[in-house]
Amino acid sequence: MDYGLKPLGREKLWLWLMLTPTLIGLTFGAIGSLLATLGLSLFNWDLINPPQWAGAENYIQLFQNKDYIEAFANTLKFSTLYVPGVVVISLLLAVLLNRKIRGVGFFRTVYFLPTVTSAVATALVWNMIYGKETGILNFALEALGFAPVCWLCTDNAMMSVVIVNVWGAVGEGMIIFLAGLTAIPRDYYEAASLDGANDFQRFFRVTLPLVTPSVFFQTLIAAINAFQAYDYIYMLTRRGQGDSSVPVAVYSIYRNAFHFFRMGDASAQAIQLALLVAVFMAIMFWWERRYVVYE
Amino acid sequence: MKKLWFVLVIASLLLAACGGGAKPAAGQGPVEITFTMWGAPEELAVWQAVVDDFHKVNPNIAVKVDVSDWDSYWTKLNTLIAGGTPPDVFAMDAPLFLDWQSRGALLNLQPYIDANPGFLDGIYPQTLTAYKTADGYYGLPRDFQTIVLFYNKDMFDESGVPYPNEDWTYDDLTAAALMLTRDKDNDGKVDQYGFWSDTWDMELLWSEAIWAYGGEIISADHTKTLIGEGGARDAWAFIDNLYKEGVMPTPTAAGEFGLDLFQSGMAAMTTIGHWAVPGYVQSGINFDVAPMPKGPAGRATSVNSAGFVIAKDSKHPDAAFEFIKFALGETGQTKLAQLGFAIPVLKSVAEGDAYLKQPGELNQKVFLDSLAFARMKPVFKGYEEWAGVVGDGLIPVFDGEAELNAALDEIIVAADEVLAKNK
Amino acid sequence: MSKPIYKTILDVVAYAFLIFGALTMLLPFLWMISVSLRVPAEQFSRNIVPNPLTFQNYFDLFRDLPDDAFFYLTFNSFKLSILTVFGQVLTCAMAAFVFAIVKFKGRDFLFALLVATLMIPPQVSLIPNFIIFKYLGWIGTQLPLIVPAFWGGAFGTFLLRQYFLTIPRDLVDAARMDGASLFDIFWRIYLPLSKPAVAALSIFVFKDAWNDLLHPLVYLPTNMHKTTLTVGLAFFQQQLQMGGKFTVLMAGAFLSILPLLIIFFIAQKQFIEGIALSGVKR
Repeated sequence: MDYGLKPLGREKLWLWLMLTPTLIGLTFGAIGSLLATLGLSLFNWDLINPPQWAGAENYIQLFQNKDYIEAFANTLKFSTLYVPGVVVISLLLAVLLNRKIRGVGFFRTVYFLPTVTSAVATALVWNMIYGKETGILNFALEALGFAPVCWLCTDNAMMSVVIVNVWGAVGEGMIIFLAGLTAIPRDYYEAASLDGANDFQRFFRVTLPLVTPSVFFQTLIAAINAFQAYDYIYMLTRRGQGDSSVPVAVYSIYRNAFHFFRMGDASAQAIQLALLVAVFMAIMFWWERRYVVYE
Repeated sequence: MKKLWFVLVIASLLLAACGGGAKPAAGQGPVEITFTMWGAPEELAVWQAVVDDFHKVNPNIAVKVDVSDWDSYWTKLNTLIAGGTPPDVFAMDAPLFLDWQSRGALLNLQPYIDANPGFLDGIYPQTLTAYKTADGYYGLPRDFQTIVLFYNKDMFDESGVPYPNEDWTYDDLTAAALMLTRDKDNDGKVDQYGFWSDTWDMELLWSEAIWAYGGEIISADHTKTLIGEGGARDAWAFIDNLYKEGVMPTPTAAGEFGLDLFQSGMAAMTTIGHWAVPGYVQSGINFDVAPMPKGPAGRATSVNSAGFVIAKDSKHPDAAFEFIKFALGETGQTKLAQLGFAIPVLKSVAEGDAYLKQPGELNQKVFLDSLAFARMKPVFKGYEEWAGVVGDGLIPVFDGEAELNAALDEIIVAADEVLAKNK
Repeated sequence: MSKPIYKTILDVVAYAFLIFGALTMLLPFLWMISVSLRVPAEQFSRNIVPNPLTFQNYFDLFRDLPDDAFFYLTFNSFKLSILTVFGQVLTCAMAAFVFAIVKFKGRDFLFALLVATLMIPPQVSLIPNFIIFKYLGWIGTQLPLIVPAFWGGAFGTFLLRQYFLTIPRDLVDAARMDGASLFDIFWRIYLPLSKPAVAALSIFVFKDAWNDLLHPLVYLPTNMHKTTLTVGLAFFQQQLQMGGKFTVLMAGAFLSILPLLIIFFIAQKQFIEGIALSGVKR
């Protein structure tokens, strides 16, 4: 990308001064997470004894590990439902709530509420809402004359879990899009109106192109969140004292590392997941270069 | 002005943070050891009391207690150990013991035991075996749990069903559960189940049933899963039937009513250990206990223990062992008995007033007498992974989405793979 | 100029969508509060108004908690969260400004590396990071929770960079002509213009720091005076779930999010309504 200005003279000093905290963090983060995970994925380590060299063994085993393949497939399925859901709904909300309408403050507040709570707390109440016998959702269905649905049974669990995750994330997306929308210079709209553009045309010709930096950011963050989604899923689909009926990749990573003492396997799984995110990110950056409009 | 105020707040918070980082200079004199365990808030208070008593006797050793809930405990413990900063003494669940011992995480306690002749004499031998290896003990039990049948007296009285007794068989249990399953308000939904127990882990119901029906769980050399052979299939049929008859809610349905339906007053009977008692009392359940029912091959229950281990890399192993010794002595075990969560491993305390004469009308002796026909909950390498394969595999069966015998066949193959992997 | 008919229809559809959505958003909270005020026998009732209404569940929750624990736990949570917000906003904004505005060698590589650190799940990097902090001697102190907040972060930098990129560049050129330094441009032009994004980042960071269970658990002693409210309440909630005491459980859940809600409502004007309804003027 060739945007940006060339630093002159003393500006160079400022540049590095302002970057210093991030460079420290980056060194730490690159070593502590990227390099360490990459390194550990080449060893077998039980967390106690010195790690044993394993080479590519952990990666080869990934393809034979039925549990991980199932978990990984679930993660993919979850992501394809979750990412478009979050991006589209939160953009829609932001556009609707960026107008001078009655109650805009109330609506913004209400949609943002799930964002300022914790998954631990709200998963508990969603569990009650989804209850087959006692849940209010089935109560509403029955009142309308429909048959009750087993929301958290194997067949429906994925959909129910996606709904809760989207519920918890649209507020954050909405705020990011709202912030993005405010940066669109007012005269663009005025110019479009003078050209006789109607609301739809203004949305597609002015709003959407100019909000693409936020779309880019939000899609990428939603994808990363989707690949690492875990807390709601685990808490909603844990049955009895058992484990999750919708195992996802991060759950498999956690179990391998902390319960089965196979840090090498866990790291290989994490790298594989990261690679997938990286591919997605590369596509997004390519897309950014082509389509994202920066001022 | 506003900005200055803001800067002051941040600066003082930062100062407070740095102050927290200061450590007392290390030196001679008193040693400090750390003891971490999983448990409930009440347990933290009791262990703090045990630690205070210990400190009075051993003024040179200070013990720092750190209690977390079960899930958090293992995450934290693994991180501390992998990071090379293990706690000196930590709690161990017997089935997981071999996973830790075989990785060399634990200190061999045999030299200390040898140096204290007679130390183990007063302890129930059934509780010791789990921690014994070819070259001695790598851990010691703290307390033990036998599984018994709990029943809600009010619900039995209301339905006019006689209380469970020592002659009960599993068929009697099913028959009583059928009578106790009720739809009180006639809305077409069950609002009192005859029975409920956790069937994910083996400890609460299915290991007992398999043994009572003449089956086995795992081969002696820990290479073969035996839960599909001989009498074991009959035990599974018994459990499957409880679900099919609707006297026990399916695992997914049970989730709606909390993790323990007996405690939430939704079930008339359950099979569980002594750790559940304080919760049941607190919830105001009017209950008593009976021994596990008999099966065609006799009566069986499971005995399991929580224990103490010392980290191999502990810097103060002597002090750590002193603490374990104290916790297993009269004072420590008496405090533990009064806590009411478990049965002390020290015979003199378990068979004395501290345990048997606890407040309430509960027949405490049933837990103790069950030792006579109790079998140890299996301890083997890869236990947790194996239990996950079996438990997760059975859920679709009990939810009514899969057929029992076909699922069992698949589970056994996968479970044997786990055993091979953890050899 | 009269309103075209399609606009009215659109407004009605929009309102219907917003109201339905708002109810969906609110339902779990209303339900949580409702259950927390019920007597245990009514916990599965489908009536949202508690009858009878009781505060007993909140007292039950505190029965086992030492007297001063709640104070210490809340104080620790606030302290860590405020410091994290301060550190993150400052350091992320500086880096985001540089990444967005200045052209220098290695910029795209550094930025890609930064975003890449987001891709490793924290469950895996926990142990390597723990080992690094051990060598620094910080285990058992709050430093592993505070210091990293002051060395930037991928999420915050990324979010602010995307926002900075949309600010009209001619503002920079003008300031540069007047001889303003890079930091001046950041401090006097970009930061003030970015209030909505900074506000959004602040609340995201605050929430994440407040709700973090994993890191305080591992780095701090689990002690009712030293750890955070989230860790402390998790410890007290574990057995409630066993007995299906949803009334007390909901009281605990509500209490754990209450401080966040209060902060949010206090700051709400700034954060939500403060986001202007129309674009920047230039």
